[in-house]
Amino acid sequence: MRLTKFAAVSAVTLVAIAGANLAGAADKTIKLGITLPITGADAADAALIQHGFEIAIEEANAAGGVKGMKLEAVVKDSGTATAGQYDPAQAATNTKSLVGDPDVLAVLGPEMSGEGKAMTPILSEADLATITPSSTNPDLTDPAHAAQYMPKGRAVYFRTVTTDAFQGPNMANFYKETVKAANVYIIDDAGAYGVGISDAFQKQAEKIGLKVLGRDQLDPKEADYTTVLTKIKALNPDSIYYGGVNQAGVKLAKQMAEILPNVKKGGGDGIYSAEFLTGVGFPAVEGWYCTNAGPHLTDDPAAKKFVDTYKSKYNTSPNDYSITAYDGALVAIDAIKRVAEGGKGLTRSNVRDAIQATSLKTLQGTVSFDKMGDINDRTVSVFQFHKNDKFPLDDSGHQIGYIGVAPQS
Amino acid sequence: MIQQVINGLSIGAMYALLALGFTMVYGIIELINFSHFNIFMVGTFISMLLLQAMGFNGQSTLLYGLPLVGVLTFALLVTMLATGLLGVVIERLALRPLRGVPGTAPMITTIGVSYILYNIVLLTQGGTAKNFPNPMPPYHWDFGNVTLKLREVLLWGIALLLMVALQLFVHRTKLGKAMQATAQDQEAARMVGVDVDRVIVTTFFVGSALAGAAGFIFGLYYNYANYQIGYTAGLRAFTAAVLGGIGSIPGAMLGGVLIGLIESIGGQLIAVRWTDVIIFSLLVLVLVFRPSGLLGTAGPTKS
Repeated sequence: MRLTKFAAVSAVTLVAIAGANLAGAADKTIKLGITLPITGADAADAALIQHGFEIAIEEANAAGGVKGMKLEAVVKDSGTATAGQYDPAQAATNTKSLVGDPDVLAVLGPEMSGEGKAMTPILSEADLATITPSSTNPDLTDPAHAAQYMPKGRAVYFRTVTTDAFQGPNMANFYKETVKAANVYIIDDAGAYGVGISDAFQKQAEKIGLKVLGRDQLDPKEADYTTVLTKIKALNPDSIYYGGVNQAGVKLAKQMAEILPNVKKGGGDGIYSAEFLTGVGFPAVEGWYCTNAGPHLTDDPAAKKFVDTYKSKYNTSPNDYSITAYDGALVAIDAIKRVAEGGKGLTRSNVRDAIQATSLKTLQGTVSFDKMGDINDRTVSVFQFHKNDKFPLDDSGHQIGYIGVAPQS
Repeated sequence: MIQQVINGLSIGAMYALLALGFTMVYGIIELINFSHFNIFMVGTFISMLLLQAMGFNGQSTLLYGLPLVGVLTFALLVTMLATGLLGVVIERLALRPLRGVPGTAPMITTIGVSYILYNIVLLTQGGTAKNFPNPMPPYHWDFGNVTLKLREVLLWGIALLLMVALQLFVHRTKLGKAMQATAQDQEAARMVGVDVDRVIVTTFFVGSALAGAAGFIFGLYYNYANYQIGYTAGLRAFTAAVLGGIGSIPGAMLGGVLIGLIESIGGQLIAVRWTDVIIFSLLVLVLVFRPSGLLGTAGPTKS
């Protein structure tokens, strides 16, 4: 009696498992991993990027997916309470868990270079490609650091923005040619991105004869920067360049407005950010320059449809990194499609090869990559925070005005 | 350099207010209250939400004269009352049941409470940097290269006023004297009729209210709030309390101001990123050569 019951249960279970397998084969889902600092100081900007990814994935699914297979986003948060912002260790943990899921064929993200540095060795090992819409540290795709960031020798870190090797120097040119700064004091936030972009800025500034008065480093967890600013004030600088992200940047900008009210000031894409706008607020944020490692897109007629979709869906305006994110997701989906339609096996390596060979018309123009994974287009755009009373004060699409393309060196 | 002294005094006044809470609680029940870090942070958030509820946003609305004084006094008092009550609740729920438990259990509990507060604020308010409303007009006085701002004067004023009030409370009132008695010898105080529980609750209330005041001042001074601010400020204030002699009220005030000055002048002379190294090396030196702190009395070891 007992035995028959056991047999019956087993039979039912077997059928159930077999059924599940059959169903799985019929409509297999393709997963795209997403890792972004969704909580903490980078949250507002991570959302702008995440929405860009999501719109691309939804549109692809609405158009029938890839050969009848649906795309599914697996979203991981790389922000932690201890870091208060993006946490490289968490980004690595997320990457390991994405690698562990065999359905994940490509990754989208990260937002920050510090995360990228922790993720690339793991991605390289798995030959799993990621596409970042915003992280710009040059080391990640520099042949000199290939042993560290691509130990297997194949590019896995693709970008739909250019790098700080252009963002920093081009901004130095802009300081000299357009801002007409006589000298500059450079401050970084001790992060991978901040130190890298400040180094690149400093090198170019020295080359073109923009006098560098000094360089200092901030602890992002410290609340008080009045000491360092008072020190800088004594040097009477004409301009200040800040290489870093929001956590230190917000406090720096607030205290700078009081101590150095008349200095010309700017930074990189780390402060091209909704969080910087609302955290600092007017009047302190007025006049800050920032850059973006790509062409300015949200006012481009080609992007109008995307901008409208974004606004109606999320009730706020996208920024340029929402569009590079959208473009990045398009590149990944296009690559998966080409692999699937070319009859090759849907493996991570094949998808990586397809991304490498990309030549896809996107909202920012045709995207293609060099053999290290960097985008071939090297435009850097400059913006300035300027109060626009016609729009809400937290509308980053309108309170950060486009100035122009930074002079290429 | 004079500018750095002004900066240092401002940060120092904040540390001093915060250090008082550590030192008072330690003086009474020999407990290092780590939840104090985040009571301070909660104070910043309470005053921020209060000011926002009163219609202040960012630095766009400025007040002058009496309305300014009124709004600031009101916000300060409400914040102090709220954090004071928070301190009482923490004592009642988390610490009183552990009274008399030997070892480190109560101290570990305060670390736990600290993390609870930290995460409550993170989850309800989010992790982004907040633009703390500040209705103060940007008045300042220039003396050559040195600028003295209204907010600095105000900060010193509030801190000084609260410290004088605390001194009067401890030395002139009956409850204050009961507090001193309890600090000296809890058993003996109980024997002569001091209600020890009431003294302990009062200590938590006053200490936490001062942390709330420090939190409010922090917000006004930096126009900034974030759930993480308790950590650095709390650790420096704790160092200040130890430096001055933990358990000693004038010691905490002196320690706070000293740490503030070391931070700003040290940053000027050496480099800002070395601040923590300087401060904590000093702490180690003081503990090695003068374990009772600058103004602490080396009391007899309790058996």
